[in-house]
Amino acid sequence: MTDGTSLAAPVIEVRNAGIRYRRNKRGRRSFKDLFGGETRRLRPDEFWALKQVDFTVRPGEAIGVVGRNGQGKSTLLKLVAEVVMPDEGVVSVRGGVAPLIEITGGFVDDLTVRENVYLTAGLHGMTRREIDARFDEIIDFAELGDFLETPYKHLSSGMRVRLAFSVISRLEEPILLVDEVLAVGDRGFREKCYARIEELLAGGRTLFFVSHSERDLRRFCTRGLYLERGRLVLDGPIEDVLERYAADTAT
Amino acid sequence: MTSAAVSAPLRERGPDRGRYWRVLWLLATRDLKVRYSTSSLGYLWSILDPLLMSVIYWFVFTQVIQRSVGEEPYIVFLLSALLPWMWFNGAVGDSTRAFLREAKLVRSTKIPRTIWVLRLVVSKGIEFLFSLPVIAAFAVFSGATVNADLALLPVAILLQAVLTTGIGLIVAPLVVFFRDLERAVKLALRFVFYASPIVYSTRNLPEGWHQLAAFNPLSGLFSLYRSAFFAAELDWYLVGVAAAISVALLGIGLLVFRRSERAVLKEI
Repeated sequence: MTDGTSLAAPVIEVRNAGIRYRRNKRGRRSFKDLFGGETRRLRPDEFWALKQVDFTVRPGEAIGVVGRNGQGKSTLLKLVAEVVMPDEGVVSVRGGVAPLIEITGGFVDDLTVRENVYLTAGLHGMTRREIDARFDEIIDFAELGDFLETPYKHLSSGMRVRLAFSVISRLEEPILLVDEVLAVGDRGFREKCYARIEELLAGGRTLFFVSHSERDLRRFCTRGLYLERGRLVLDGPIEDVLERYAADTAT
Repeated sequence: MTSAAVSAPLRERGPDRGRYWRVLWLLATRDLKVRYSTSSLGYLWSILDPLLMSVIYWFVFTQVIQRSVGEEPYIVFLLSALLPWMWFNGAVGDSTRAFLREAKLVRSTKIPRTIWVLRLVVSKGIEFLFSLPVIAAFAVFSGATVNADLALLPVAILLQAVLTTGIGLIVAPLVVFFRDLERAVKLALRFVFYASPIVYSTRNLPEGWHQLAAFNPLSGLFSLYRSAFFAAELDWYLVGVAAAISVALLGIGLLVFRRSERAVLKEI
């Protein structure tokens, strides 16, 4: 964003990070797998989903992650969200994260919309008082004012996404992670979500955005990370990264 | 929409110690809320199960066969171990699915992972506390008297929380890798029910078995619970062994959990 941001201390630091997964999920298990810890050795049925990934993010930056399917984009997002741990290297994230990943995961079918808002916002670290103060905002944004006492299971899938986005995007966290969740929902609401993300960006939040849509990437991001087979092959201005991506996929 | 709508961004937050306990409480009470909002009997279900079990054992051991174990009144004797057993059984049994049931949440939030086990111990523990009036009612009804050892109740509850958490921390991550363990645990729990002094007392065991029973931490635990009504049941040797084993299990549990966390997160 502005030049001033590049001087601040990084909020995300990924140092030579790598993570490996099993190729065959149904393979035989041993106790060695379980307690293997940080061995660098690769067993025959494993592959590196990410390897030697190295970058830092400063506060206020808006970063788009680009790459074809299965090249490690979502895994990178999970590493930054700290919901998985690297097998080698270091991922350090200063400040909390508002993850728009599997956003409907925390909601409980049998509880009402009101109860679910308090539950999910609480799980992401908000106190009761903070939620009280934001509650109307959250409901207004989700356009669910008439459904406060409706059990979550009776909401349509569009309503569910609206509620989830509304809650997570109201979290007071300095880093916003967005996976391709916004593909759902009608066009009107998607535009509203995008406006909200821009608002947060203008407010100084850091954005980490995974998408296949060039338009969206250009709209939000200034810097791009291009992943190929788990390696970070290009880290630069979003235009350059998209250009390279387009060139690679054309052939 | 203006940027003013972005309220208080970048609030500086130090390490938020209160957050762990807040989230733990939220998750523990969520289970109870769901249970009570979806069933019309609600609270009754928490006590119906132990109640029915007690009636069955009472019938078998006092009406059908001549009982030579336990103390009078037998129903109070039974409940004073059966209710804590329900807590233990519920928490350990549920810990086999601690991660699997909440996979979506585990995958999308950075909550300290021990919470997924601890919340089961807490929510089953709350149910246990809710069921205490049942035993109080039976005590009044059958004329049992409490003694000063009732003051040991918090100690017993703490000991049980330590023990159950330790076992849960071992079981929960292992089940993710060895699904068979889920059934094995259920089976083991059924065995442990009879191997623990619930329908009988360790004092009823033949000579020689007493030493063996000490290695079951539930022996010491239930002796603590029972001492409130039956002073003779209190056996500090059993309690000491139970405490030592519980603390050791918690240590092992934390170790297993830390070491396997990385692999568990990848798997679910």
